[in-house]
Amino acid sequence: MNILIMVIFVVLAAFTLAAGVMVVTVKNIIHAALWLIASFFSVAAMYLLMEAEFIAIVQVLVYVGAISILVLFAIMLTRHVTGEGVRQLYKRWWIALIVAAALFGVLIVPTVFNYEWAVQPSGAQISIASTVEIGTAFMREYLLPFEVASVLLLVALIGAIVIAFEERSTRRRVLTLAEEVEQRRQRNESLRLAPTTHASETSE
Amino acid sequence: MLQFLENIFGPSWIVSLIAFLISTTVILIVTPVTFMMMTWFERRIVARMQDRLGPNRVGPAGLLQAVADGVKMFTKENITPRAADKWVHLIAPLVATGPVIFLFAVIPWGYGLSPVDINVSVLFVIAVSSISAVGLMMGGWGSNNKFALLGAMRAVAQMVSYEIPAVIALLSMVLFTGTMNLNKYTELQGGLPILGNTLKDVIPDLGLGWFVFTPIGLVGFMIFFICILSEGERTPFDIPEADSEIVAGYMTEYSGMKFAVFYMGQFLFNYALSMVASIIFLGGWNFPGIPQLISIAPPIGALASAVVLGAKAWFLFFVMIWLRGAFPRLRMDQLMAFAWKFLLPLALINILSAALWLTIMLWCTGDCTQNPWVFTVGGINPLGWLGNSPVLRQLVGFVLTAIINAGAFFWLLNVNRRPAGETPADLARDQAFGTASLP
Repeated sequence: MNILIMVIFVVLAAFTLAAGVMVVTVKNIIHAALWLIASFFSVAAMYLLMEAEFIAIVQVLVYVGAISILVLFAIMLTRHVTGEGVRQLYKRWWIALIVAAALFGVLIVPTVFNYEWAVQPSGAQISIASTVEIGTAFMREYLLPFEVASVLLLVALIGAIVIAFEERSTRRRVLTLAEEVEQRRQRNESLRLAPTTHASETSE
Repeated sequence: MLQFLENIFGPSWIVSLIAFLISTTVILIVTPVTFMMMTWFERRIVARMQDRLGPNRVGPAGLLQAVADGVKMFTKENITPRAADKWVHLIAPLVATGPVIFLFAVIPWGYGLSPVDINVSVLFVIAVSSISAVGLMMGGWGSNNKFALLGAMRAVAQMVSYEIPAVIALLSMVLFTGTMNLNKYTELQGGLPILGNTLKDVIPDLGLGWFVFTPIGLVGFMIFFICILSEGERTPFDIPEADSEIVAGYMTEYSGMKFAVFYMGQFLFNYALSMVASIIFLGGWNFPGIPQLISIAPPIGALASAVVLGAKAWFLFFVMIWLRGAFPRLRMDQLMAFAWKFLLPLALINILSAALWLTIMLWCTGDCTQNPWVFTVGGINPLGWLGNSPVLRQLVGFVLTAIINAGAFFWLLNVNRRPAGETPADLARDQAFGTASLP
């Protein structure tokens, strides 16, 4: 059983890394977004391998169902980005590499050294991610981060609404066909009338 | 049993592998057959509604029409536009349809007939059904066709905005029942209408305590069903593939089997969500007689329960066809306004009434003097008069939530009576600016 899990883990990890590399190397930006979705998926599969069903499903829900759709939408709505030939690397790419590696190290090193790795799995069934436990944790230990995050999201929501309303005040409602025809008729009439009134004025 | 199987077949992981392979095979056979039946059913019923006959030549009553269609699809030329993105174009139908078949893995088909029993299956359904939007996007973009791209944009915009009320409607049911496991929903919906399981000891289990008979469940069901129609692109909401506007939307450049796979994904999505709606709101496989049958003869009971659940899902599918025969297509702005101005507020109010119901049901049950969290007014528990009678609590909750939900429904109907841009405020603004300012 352990060997099977190891094999699956290695396959998934390799796929995640490969997909991640494809995201940053592939030329076409839509393809990059699709590879990103693939890597999100395999991360979700790894959570599932750790029997963290809830987190795996939330990973799919948030990253695949929402964020990647938004990414795809944003790319498709910006016209000139979809073309090929966007530069992949800039001159100082190594600075970015160092910064990313350093950040990763800052996150991973303390975890590796401080965590007591259980060599043998303990007999008791530990459910790492039952929804009840996560809910309790959010309502007790992590109440402040939870509330701060919710306030942040609320602010973003209200901001989006405010932006939409500002634009709306300058926009008219969509006219029906009949109204448009009526308008065009009125405009044509005024155009036809305008020269004659003008002419009559000058003739006087 | 496991030991016995291990002796025959080897270690237990092989046994589980075989077990899962069997259920996978069953799902992969049953779903395409369901799809074929659905196409036949839809064509016959729509024909009936439009005073035509529909397919009636191939096989008895045209039942084999779907097989003939399948042969036709297989033998059609498989066209990929030269300027299309070949791989994206090829993979898109799979990405759109695969997740839909995933859904059937967690849906209990009947009593004890769920292929995989996970604890968060409601969330699984929501998460996995949102993946197929990626497939539609890929199809629309990969075809390199403006109609396809427009259709994909419309489809995804629609899916994303209707997902929100659908999820909130399901969330109110999760709050109401306290579980995200689809298998548990059926157990909770036994008993009598309105009263549910509360009189279990007095009256035999009639299997009619469906959530659709409670105000919260009724509003949730309405919202969820409308959202299913929209996410499955059924007719009042079929603007992503409006054939009179944009050919066939994201499926424009697809032919042969690739088209068939897209089409299958759509129909099965409708069926899967109909099943979810029947399980969560329409009592699952509960029906008078089924609980008794299960306790007497489990295998026959399981079969009967699967038939009952299937009948409910097919009934919902029939309603979808009915709506297709009865309603014209909505406009995009009407569609969006309906989701954001009617369904979403109603779903939010529904969550509030679910919370109220939960409070009434659980407030101070048992010994509440020991509980430090119980809120009292001047030392008196405001809901103390309810006592420990679940029936009384259920009735009080029913009445209160019915008042709230009905009030919210009529209020929102009234607010939304005039379409966007024609409310009194908008008209007053138009007057103030004068119509001359129109372009």
